[in-house]
Amino acid sequence: MSSRLSRFLVLALVAGLATAPAAPVSRFYAAVSMTKAQKNSPTPLDSGLYLRQADGQWANFGPRILGVTSLVASPVNPATLLLASSDGVVRTTDGGKTWRKTTGWEVADVRAIVFDHANPAHAYAATAWGPLRSTDGGASWQLAQQGLSRLYCQTIIADAASGGHVLLGTEDGVYVSRDGAVTWARTAFPAVSVLRLAESAADPKLLLAGTQGRGAWLSRDGGQSWTAADPGSATANLYAAAISPHAATQLAVGGWEIGVRVSADGGRTWADRTAGLPAKNVFVLAFDPDVKGRLWASTFEEGTYYSDDLGRTWHDGGLYGAYAFDLVFLPPAP
Amino acid sequence: MVLVLMLSVGALFAREGEKGVLLSDADITRRFEERRQSVIASSIAALDPADLTKGGHYDVAACLQRGEKREAALARLAKILAVKADGNMFWMFPMVTLMMAGDQGLDDPSRARFAELWRTYWPSRGDTENHWVLYYSSLYLAAQTYPGAGPEKWFNGKSSAENMAESRSYLEHWLEVTTSFGQGEYDSPNYLEEYATGLALLSGWAQDAAFRQRAHLMLDYIFYDYAVETLDGYYGGAHSRVYPRQIIAPGLTPSMALGWLLFGFGERQPNGTVQILALSGYTPPPILERIARDRAQPYVERELKRTRWRLRNAGPESFVIGDKRTIPVYKYSYVDQDFILGSTQGGLLQPIQQQTWNLIWRTDRPAAKAANTFFGVQPYSSPLEGTMFFGADWDTVTNLIARSKADYDTPDKLPSGSPFEQVYQHGPALVALYDIPPGTRFPLVTMFFSRDLTHTEEDASGWIFAQGGPVYIAYRPFAAGEWKPNDWTGLLAHGAGGFISTDFAKWGSGHRCYVSPALKNGYVVQVAPARAFASYEAFKAAVRALPLTFSTATQPEATFTSLDGTVIHARYGATPTVNGQPVDFASWPLFESPFGHATRGSQQLEIAHGAERLLLDFTHNVRQESAVPAQP
Repeated sequence: MSSRLSRFLVLALVAGLATAPAAPVSRFYAAVSMTKAQKNSPTPLDSGLYLRQADGQWANFGPRILGVTSLVASPVNPATLLLASSDGVVRTTDGGKTWRKTTGWEVADVRAIVFDHANPAHAYAATAWGPLRSTDGGASWQLAQQGLSRLYCQTIIADAASGGHVLLGTEDGVYVSRDGAVTWARTAFPAVSVLRLAESAADPKLLLAGTQGRGAWLSRDGGQSWTAADPGSATANLYAAAISPHAATQLAVGGWEIGVRVSADGGRTWADRTAGLPAKNVFVLAFDPDVKGRLWASTFEEGTYYSDDLGRTWHDGGLYGAYAFDLVFLPPAP
Repeated sequence: MVLVLMLSVGALFAREGEKGVLLSDADITRRFEERRQSVIASSIAALDPADLTKGGHYDVAACLQRGEKREAALARLAKILAVKADGNMFWMFPMVTLMMAGDQGLDDPSRARFAELWRTYWPSRGDTENHWVLYYSSLYLAAQTYPGAGPEKWFNGKSSAENMAESRSYLEHWLEVTTSFGQGEYDSPNYLEEYATGLALLSGWAQDAAFRQRAHLMLDYIFYDYAVETLDGYYGGAHSRVYPRQIIAPGLTPSMALGWLLFGFGERQPNGTVQILALSGYTPPPILERIARDRAQPYVERELKRTRWRLRNAGPESFVIGDKRTIPVYKYSYVDQDFILGSTQGGLLQPIQQQTWNLIWRTDRPAAKAANTFFGVQPYSSPLEGTMFFGADWDTVTNLIARSKADYDTPDKLPSGSPFEQVYQHGPALVALYDIPPGTRFPLVTMFFSRDLTHTEEDASGWIFAQGGPVYIAYRPFAAGEWKPNDWTGLLAHGAGGFISTDFAKWGSGHRCYVSPALKNGYVVQVAPARAFASYEAFKAAVRALPLTFSTATQPEATFTSLDGTVIHARYGATPTVNGQPVDFASWPLFESPFGHATRGSQQLEIAHGAERLLLDFTHNVRQESAVPAQP
């Protein structure tokens, strides 16, 4: 999620969009399951994408599919979107008017999906059954398992500055590919389940990882080496990680019973910023590319909130009852 | 499709079964057809032209198939189709049943509405094996209905041809894995109906004759799997998935309803799959009823199954099929005319609803009231299990499971697998060992004592004796416990869990559990038919005299000489031995008993009864009946 923010900002700057005087330009989506109201049922009340409207309300967008976890837009065609879901990858090429599932029965439980901005025809996905790669913009997919010790993965990022450089968060640490997910090699990361990877737009070598039970980890060399980042969350399950696209010094992590923790100095020091949130269970964090310094946080079923002062105060952002998997800012609709 | 009928064998082996049931091919087929027709007739009768708020999908389908009450059926159908589509894969197969069975009776508006629904409603595929079989069998047939339809006609943007190809590819994969390595969601008294539904639809209405044949073969296959472990329709042996009501009242299961239609056991119970099967025209091969009823001699049924795919935390014992990880499940059932004692090896074999071992006995009580079962459980719940089998997150998975399986995270749960449980059975004797780490959420070993048990006695010898109908039971706990009412948290009694605890007062009350908190634990169970002893006292005396040594000081361990003289030795973490020989799990067969044989990886099942043979050969898509001379 953070990587998408970063890439979009870079693109926006390149295109001169950042100088446009208009209000927010991004399309802001939440990938959620409405689990709060799920009683005596194995399925949530609703599941899919919600699109934030100008008035701050959220409206359904796209197909209602169980287990929708993320969304990504083609770097060369904003009308082409790839949706990650339990049913597989679902693609639109007309901005959401029509959708097509582009995976077969073999693919399920897609947890994260990215385009390779340095090679826009390439896209990659992390699924609970192993990673996938596409070389035709998500129109078709191939299994991409070579070199992996275990297949489970739920987070993936692609280096915006280096085509084919992909990092995958697995149940056995972080794996790296230099050939567009054809082959993978283990990085010097602990043998722990990696729950979220984020990269910096301002400093492409800066990466942040949230893990299961081992807290946050930072890499300052594009994923070759990693160090534990925050003693205050060292044993936490961190589902959320984000780096501001405006300033590589601003980092945030969030997780179960740890709330939100932020760093304003590139990860040297961290502070608890949970006060003001209704719950300490945070699954997604996202810096807003349109409002400098705005941080979004989505709690487990207790709503989504934003802060304009790096978490010192929080404001209601809606989506009460949601179990959010991703908050996604995409370029404006064509 | 190739059908080789070497001989009409059934007539050769016609004889009277128990309770005077005639077992010739002709009699079996006639009785089945009578039941099938009665299902359809009652379905038609259920639709009331004067009250179109009543009548289910299959009632409408029956009317349309038979050309009866057509106007009322179409009017009722219009109401059904006007309801907002919901339920994902569980929405699909009722629609397809209407489309297939009712095809000749549909009118243009209903056909148009079906097409509109398939274009606009996205039914998710779900995440279990039965979900996928239902989803793809339904999608295959729905797509078959619209040949040449392009992507714009379908919810998922794929053409009819693409949907059919994807569906068939998955179903062929499922057939191959199941007939080679065993079913993942194996032997479930509940989910048997889901597999029967999907396969019945394909068997009845797939236009491709070869594919229709494969579905028919697979129906025979799963019904054999049931027939060989049933006692009067009750599904015996270990189960992959069973709900609280079903584990206590084994007669309140879809498999019992199917047992009535397929083999004539018990009374008819309302059941949608029974209706679908009846409409599909499927007729089980008569050999299956002969097997289901033949309990003249006790036998051992061994089966190889597999766990549901383990997506993470798979463990070092896991192996790979394709690119999915699983571990083998070694099923063992001892089938007697009066009882079935069945087990698996223990461990985490399925998420949520596993029953590692159980005993059922023959009963004359009505199925709705019978609680003819005895079993033990280590009530376990953890994110480790949840994340092993589900794609959910560590900190939410248990919570989300309990949204629909309310008992999952309670200490008085009855269905459960446990990584701290190891079970070994030989004949009608069973040894269970437990090594529960400190800090485990529910550090208990629970033994369920049904209200149907009589003469329960705590003997000074340490054995606890009981009688279940015509069966004597001896249970020797290795650590002390206390008696508690079942459902001691009151969760189910107070309605949590929705349909799983409906009518709790009827099936859930009056039972009790023997609950032991010892972490290092175990027990022996010895079962015997009452007919084998002069009296209950004689049974107890015989059991008291059996050599038994056990230890729970370090690794739980027991050596037990059973009533038939077999010496079973089990040590936690080690391979058990029988009469000094290690159990050979490596060569465990896919199916093996006097009634059937299948080797691992074969994709073939040879079903046998006397000299009669039925070969289900998936490699050649052949169903071959034959009779071979009886061995001298």
